[in-house]
Amino acid sequence: MLLQTTITGLAIGGIYALMAVGYSLVFSILNFSNFAHGSVIMLGAYAGYFVLTRAGAPFPVAIAGSMLAGAVIGVANERLAYKPLRVRNARPLYFMISAMGVAIFLENLVYATLGAHFYSYPEVLGRSIVRIGEASIGVLDLFALAFSSVAITGLHLFLQRTKSGLAIRACSFDMTVASVFGIRLDRVVGLVFAIAGALAGLSGVFLGMKYMAYPTMGWITNKAYVAAVIGGLGSLPGAVVGGIALGLLETFVSVYVSSIIRDVFSFSALVLVLLAMPNGLMGKYVEEKI
Amino acid sequence: MYIQGVLTVAMINIISATGLAVFTGFTGLFSLGHAAFMAVGAYTSAILTYFLGVPYVLALVAGVLASSVVAALVGYPTLRTRLRGDYFAIATIGMGEATRVILENLKITQGARGLPGISQYTTLPVAAVAAAIVLALARNMLASVYGRNAVAVREDAVAAEMSGIHLLRTRMISLVFSAGCAGLAGGLYAHYLAFIQPVMFTMVQSTQITAAVVCGGTGSLTGPALAAFVFTVAPELLRAAHMWRLVIYGLMLVLIMVFRPQGLMGYRDLSWSTFSTLAARIRRRTPHGKR
Amino acid sequence: MANAETRFSRVSRPAPEREGCEGGGTPVIAECIGLTKLFGGVRAVSHLSFKVDEGEILGLIGPNGAGKTTVFNLLTGFYRPTSGSMLFRGRDLAGLAPPAIVGLGIARTFQNIRLFSNLTVLDNVRSVLYRHAPYGFAQALIRSPRVRRDERRVREKALEYLEEVGLAGRAYDRASHLPYGLQRKLELARALALEPVLLLLDEPAAGMNPEESMSLVGLIDHLRRKHNLTIILIEHHMDVVMSLSHRIVVMNFGEKLMEGSPEEVQTDVRVIEAYLGEEYASAYRR
Repeated sequence: MLLQTTITGLAIGGIYALMAVGYSLVFSILNFSNFAHGSVIMLGAYAGYFVLTRAGAPFPVAIAGSMLAGAVIGVANERLAYKPLRVRNARPLYFMISAMGVAIFLENLVYATLGAHFYSYPEVLGRSIVRIGEASIGVLDLFALAFSSVAITGLHLFLQRTKSGLAIRACSFDMTVASVFGIRLDRVVGLVFAIAGALAGLSGVFLGMKYMAYPTMGWITNKAYVAAVIGGLGSLPGAVVGGIALGLLETFVSVYVSSIIRDVFSFSALVLVLLAMPNGLMGKYVEEKI
Repeated sequence: MYIQGVLTVAMINIISATGLAVFTGFTGLFSLGHAAFMAVGAYTSAILTYFLGVPYVLALVAGVLASSVVAALVGYPTLRTRLRGDYFAIATIGMGEATRVILENLKITQGARGLPGISQYTTLPVAAVAAAIVLALARNMLASVYGRNAVAVREDAVAAEMSGIHLLRTRMISLVFSAGCAGLAGGLYAHYLAFIQPVMFTMVQSTQITAAVVCGGTGSLTGPALAAFVFTVAPELLRAAHMWRLVIYGLMLVLIMVFRPQGLMGYRDLSWSTFSTLAARIRRRTPHGKR
Repeated sequence: MANAETRFSRVSRPAPEREGCEGGGTPVIAECIGLTKLFGGVRAVSHLSFKVDEGEILGLIGPNGAGKTTVFNLLTGFYRPTSGSMLFRGRDLAGLAPPAIVGLGIARTFQNIRLFSNLTVLDNVRSVLYRHAPYGFAQALIRSPRVRRDERRVREKALEYLEEVGLAGRAYDRASHLPYGLQRKLELARALALEPVLLLLDEPAAGMNPEESMSLVGLIDHLRRKHNLTIILIEHHMDVVMSLSHRIVVMNFGEKLMEGSPEEVQTDVRVIEAYLGEEYASAYRR
């Protein structure tokens, strides 16, 4: 039971981490909470579903398709809703409002056009179960865990080893200085939103497979924001740690306490972490330059 | 009768929009969960009148206090950091979820089924008087040192702090006032509909308040009040489908941020200072004005 | 400042006399002892020690990146020092929050002007006059007679401070609509309104032409006398620093390079070296 709960928790935590990393990546560059991230995840789930069912494509194609869709939507979102604000150096509050607007717009557009219908993914991976000792673990959970680890490791290597990754890191350190050194901001920001969107698409597929695709599923992704804050806003390792911690916490609470008050627990965890550590678990104390 | 109902709801929405205007428009912070403060106010006051027979006005006051206390508990850990308005916004999402879960599972709130049969004390005159009072209090607050501190923090948190203004205290005061308004709106709403349910106080409700404040204009009280009125009445007139209304709200938020971030009546025309001079001007023009 | 170096002309103007300092017994009002601030591995300020006497203007100069503004950020509680201590009237400032430090009597201006830009000139000053509006929240809500009275006083006070820097005529303009030089003066008025004992001025003459900056010199000296201020002045306009300062601390790479009278500083080879490089210094030596 303990092992099974832990692995389920890790799997959910992995998806949370995947969502939180995309959100945190954007935060580290533009310094605002991209509340539209959840909607991109939701659209990713729909994209994956339609590629699988309507196009009848195999699972890997569905994943690629929804990552591509997520990347395109992410970039379009930035260009239309954030870039005009970025250009005139608007305050973070305005970015947040704009992001919120995008989230409300996309979610309700899907609701209005596709309806509140729950689209349940075909059983690609089956409901097969792997037995490890006493524990029976869903293949889906293992897959989710594996995919999130690979994606996050890939992102890490990309940021550390490539020139574009270096440009992103430079921008997250100081955008103005980075642009002085000839880094093209538009391209870097576009790249960041493409990566965040692709990660959103990927997590959307797994969320869709686990919980089905429906318009308001973006609100599950609120957990991503909570995870990112717990881990430390803007820190990628923090997002991973926060996501996994939250996934584990929720699963253990569901199993050992009550699944109904699970969300109350995650919210309390957020408040408690912020009380003890105002910058999150791994957030460094950021001193603004004046 | 129907028109009266719409107007009553409009007055109630003006109250919650005024509260959020103080928090977002004047203090520069974002909340995604003001509906949760409404819920706390609604349930507190409804339970008091329904189960305990507490007088209506006292119950409303209790609702205001309850939502202020909840706001203070959420605000204290999340509003401390100098430049991170995001913490509070994210915490309000969590708070919205937590509030819903708690309301759906408590015995006294009767879970998801909701509380039917609340006495219908809120009439149009009651709501209108409440709205007028709230607007006046908000105006007074904004024309005082508390409002000035809030605006200074919105304009430049660093410069404000370096000028000796306590960030946390200032933000907390705005938040508690704002949540108090939401709590009052919730209490009035419960006693207007005579029936409340947890699903009434979700993102949709929060979105409507936010849209009114953002469209009405940052740093303006009359703008958001006007917008709250229009946003309540217009959909009734147009009979717009619920979800398309939200699609439009979302689009409006983005378009306003992109093209006119200060909103329809941005601080330039009706900042707190010009507001008082305007009020003075109006008072001069109409000698028998407000008493 | 691009042309800070070219402004490094040798000005020999007698330092303004200091009142209130009889004999050698001038009380020290502020003191930094071994002040150090690290950012990651970078030493922004390193073992910096200096004293400020009551009533004096202490110039703080040095090339860009020498750590001057960091000293201000430490003194005002924006940063916490990595090590070392800062005493103000005998009290250790380390660990105090900025509002507490303002309460003790330290105010500042900013290198990159930080006004409340959507507010009027008057409201920028009113915003910091909270000490003159000590009424409670409930009174504010009902706008009691006391509130009205206090607010009238706040307004008068604000206009007085604007008058002092010559901005009373523009009280109702939006702060962001003021020309650059006047924005600096508004920042000065806002800092004065905090009724400080020690005023930290971070490049008050930046972006001003020579005439404007000389009129600023007169204004600062006038304000110092009138309000009994002690001032630490960061400035790249050498004529401003040299004519205002009683003493000058020169910083380079976070450390104190030297300290002395304006005359001593202007003729010191190390200072010239720090500003203009080795070559000029050796030419100067010859």
